[in-house]
Amino acid sequence: MTEKLLKKDDIGKLYSELEKEYKFYAPTKVQGNIAFKQISNAEEIELEYLNSKVPPKDVLFPQKEIIFEYRYEGKEVIIEERKDLDDKLLIFGVRPCDAYSFKLLEDFFASGDFQDDVFLKKRENATIIGIGCNSPRQSCFCTSVGGHPFQKESTDIFLSDLGDNYLVEAISEKGENLVKKLSWLVDIKKGDVEKSKELAKLAEDSFTTKFNFDLVTKVLDENFEHPVWQEISESCIGCSSCTFLCPTCTCFDVIDENDEYNNRGRRIRIWDTCQSCLYTLETSGHNPRPAKIQRCRNRIMHKFSYYPSNYDCLGCVGCGRCITACPVNNELRLIIDKILEIEEKSGEKVSA
Amino acid sequence: MGLETEIKDIETNLREIAKGLLKEKKVDVIIGYMEGTLPMLSQPIIIDNEEDVDKLLWNNLCYVNLAKYLVPRVPRFVDPEKGNLKVGVVSKGCVGRALIHLASENKINLDEITIIGIPCNGVVNRQRIEMEIGEKEILEVSVLGNNVIVKGKDFEKEFPFDEYMNDLCKGCKIRKPPLISKYPDLCVGECEEYSSIVDEFTDIEEYDSKTPEEKWKYITDALSVCTRCYACREACPMCYCNLCFVDQNKPIWFGKTTDLPDVIVYHLIRAMHMAGRCVACGACSLVCPMGIDLNKINRKLEKIVKERFGFTSGLDPDAKPPMVDFKMEDAEEFMLEED
Amino acid sequence: MPNPYIPVLTKVKSMVSENEVNDIKTFELEFVNEEEYKAFDYIPGQFAEISIIGKGECPIGIASSPTEEGTIKFTIKKMGTVTSGFHNCDIGDTIGVRGPLGNGWPMEELKGKNIVVIGGGFAFSTLRSLVLYVLDDKHRKDYGDITVIYGNRNSGEVLYRDVLEEWEKRDDIDVVLTIDREEEGWARKVGFVAAVVKEVAPSSENAVAVVCGPPIMIKTAQDELEKLNWKDEQILNSLEMRMKCGIGKCGRCNIGEKFVCIDGPVFSLAELKRMPKEY
Repeated sequence: MTEKLLKKDDIGKLYSELEKEYKFYAPTKVQGNIAFKQISNAEEIELEYLNSKVPPKDVLFPQKEIIFEYRYEGKEVIIEERKDLDDKLLIFGVRPCDAYSFKLLEDFFASGDFQDDVFLKKRENATIIGIGCNSPRQSCFCTSVGGHPFQKESTDIFLSDLGDNYLVEAISEKGENLVKKLSWLVDIKKGDVEKSKELAKLAEDSFTTKFNFDLVTKVLDENFEHPVWQEISESCIGCSSCTFLCPTCTCFDVIDENDEYNNRGRRIRIWDTCQSCLYTLETSGHNPRPAKIQRCRNRIMHKFSYYPSNYDCLGCVGCGRCITACPVNNELRLIIDKILEIEEKSGEKVSA
Repeated sequence: MGLETEIKDIETNLREIAKGLLKEKKVDVIIGYMEGTLPMLSQPIIIDNEEDVDKLLWNNLCYVNLAKYLVPRVPRFVDPEKGNLKVGVVSKGCVGRALIHLASENKINLDEITIIGIPCNGVVNRQRIEMEIGEKEILEVSVLGNNVIVKGKDFEKEFPFDEYMNDLCKGCKIRKPPLISKYPDLCVGECEEYSSIVDEFTDIEEYDSKTPEEKWKYITDALSVCTRCYACREACPMCYCNLCFVDQNKPIWFGKTTDLPDVIVYHLIRAMHMAGRCVACGACSLVCPMGIDLNKINRKLEKIVKERFGFTSGLDPDAKPPMVDFKMEDAEEFMLEED
Repeated sequence: MPNPYIPVLTKVKSMVSENEVNDIKTFELEFVNEEEYKAFDYIPGQFAEISIIGKGECPIGIASSPTEEGTIKFTIKKMGTVTSGFHNCDIGDTIGVRGPLGNGWPMEELKGKNIVVIGGGFAFSTLRSLVLYVLDDKHRKDYGDITVIYGNRNSGEVLYRDVLEEWEKRDDIDVVLTIDREEEGWARKVGFVAAVVKEVAPSSENAVAVVCGPPIMIKTAQDELEKLNWKDEQILNSLEMRMKCGIGKCGRCNIGEKFVCIDGPVFSLAELKRMPKEY
């Protein structure tokens, strides 16, 4: 594994070299928030940030995505598939939780008999430069879902913020090739790798939120109809902030947009949310999940019960965005506490 | 009176009243606010016994409009046998206005509500503070003198409350819920009778002074980050339509994407649907995950409604909002003159 | 592998009205490209996402049997925007098809067994596919006795009359048609499907029941089967859910951890009882 040093002053140089070959996405300030956008000059890159409001999933799985375009010639339909899926992308500054979410998204879209070509082609052409978290937040809990603030596995190149420099570690083959190309990167000095390990340990020890998710999955599997769900869904207002800002939520709606006057149009997919009452509404009027409590329950079950059943891992990366974004503060930690209380109470009954 | 004392007084009175109401069974449940799990947040809480009144609090971070939970009634407010329970709602001025306006639209029955009035002294503009602090985690929020103190791992900053209050709250003239003479038992606590409101709309002065091109740029820039999450619609007590115009498909009025045309049409049409109904609670701006100050658009429309129809929403449960009614005095300068 | 989101193009060859009020039509589609037809290898019970490109897409069960060569058939009821669009089609219009999707009826496991087909109303389309497949000369000997119980509100609602009349003439299949209320000119049975099931009393020995129809019919018919000692594993249902992608990616058709579009739409009653009641 190649290890090099990237001076923070050289970020501009990194950008100008890479933007010739890649579409360069980096954290930048948009209307006061950090967002991962394609940047047009190095000054736009924000190096001091906690995390973006909208997760970088929206680079590979945007809110609106064209599936195909079409035009009518009389009764004939000509379908034009996407041609830009072979463009190379580089996403700079992805936190380990979001990098892990890319792996979950990839596994999900590739699973089963049908592969989602649109996402998978883009993922294949994307290079992820991750960066470790020196200061995880109170709402972060990646260590409880098998992650770590300095987890490197899902990235191609991993950066550790040592102050004036970044320690650069090539993780994957793609990463190795890229680091070799960046021949001007400086050699590491004695102590750099140790410093990174120290920062990793400090970050790991700073977590205040910790869960035992194995227990959570077990309790969820056994308590689908438990009255605790009434309490959990009480203050929820059914907006979709938690699902839209979640790095692993992938539900979408498919819509045909038709330009009648020009006999052409496109089929697009847009983000959708299981929290909407229309999500499962059938044309006949029948709705499998008409009540808010069922929709609230579905999201938690999906992340912590159905996902483990289907893919052997949790559907959550511990980024904490749902915790900070919920307008009524009906946050995940409270929900998990209430769920685990079921187990405690039943334990008491047994022993008494 | 310093900010700290104000908060303490409001809280103590509130808890006493709540305790009394529950004890004398004048209400079955009370909905109010409690401590959030993170600094700068608060959450709604529903209590049904006196022991829990100490969970109720007031801390200038109570930005959710509690009237939302009455339309439609959340299951906790309905007993399978008794029917609708009597609900006590901890109300700042705008929450009280919302309840009364919903009554004027026949969505709630004021006989089933008790408004627990508190003299709101403004809500902190948390998004402005968070943006000024920037990319550093806020670990503690407290009040000292007339300042809001925000602390993090290696920083501490003071924000004068008068300046960092929500723009809406700065010029607010309806800080306590309105008293309605027709419903003498409706309000307990601090409420006030309002005969006429003079609203200077100081919060949109800066916006209003822009040229049309500048206004358009301001709106398009602000809305460019919208993710179409609909937190604004779900937090607004006036948005109670069973099928929102956004979701209709016969016909599909416009798209649901984050393309600028779709976003602008959504917000502007929603603002039109709010004209004459908005109670200026600011929940839409404060719940937006992207921090967009949505309320500016609504307030501009409220200014126009006030000028043309002399109407302020939420003060009279019998008054019809201007968009569903007409009066012979309504100006008709757009009509042709009679010969 | 071809992109599963891109529809294959077909043309409307014929449209046949199936009921008196003219809101259910069967569309026969022929593929523009012969190879794409050959690649559309389906079994009864599967569905496809068919679309009027520009209006929208909806999941419809395939009504034709793979033994009916050359074209595929879908029976569509006019309910919403997209289905109304179908009903306003002309011969020769282009229809997009994505499929075949779903797990279909378990034709291999049904071999050697007696099959009891219980259908109600408009849900009979994939049952038509199943019965035609089983009755085909190539397959008939692989399967045991076949009983079809098919109920409708009134005689005007009975679908596939031509095919049903053919079946009634055969001696290797037992067809019992019923309508809810007496009608002049209707010589066959009268009564709800559940009552007819009770009367016919199909034996559960070495048999599988395939039940498709409105929820109330499914419930009452299954109750009758239970009284006749049918086990949950022997009863199959085909579920309907709102679907968009049809390939298990958009998330909305989930019931618990299963997706109706890939793990279903065919589920046994035993499986359904283990799933949350959100369908």
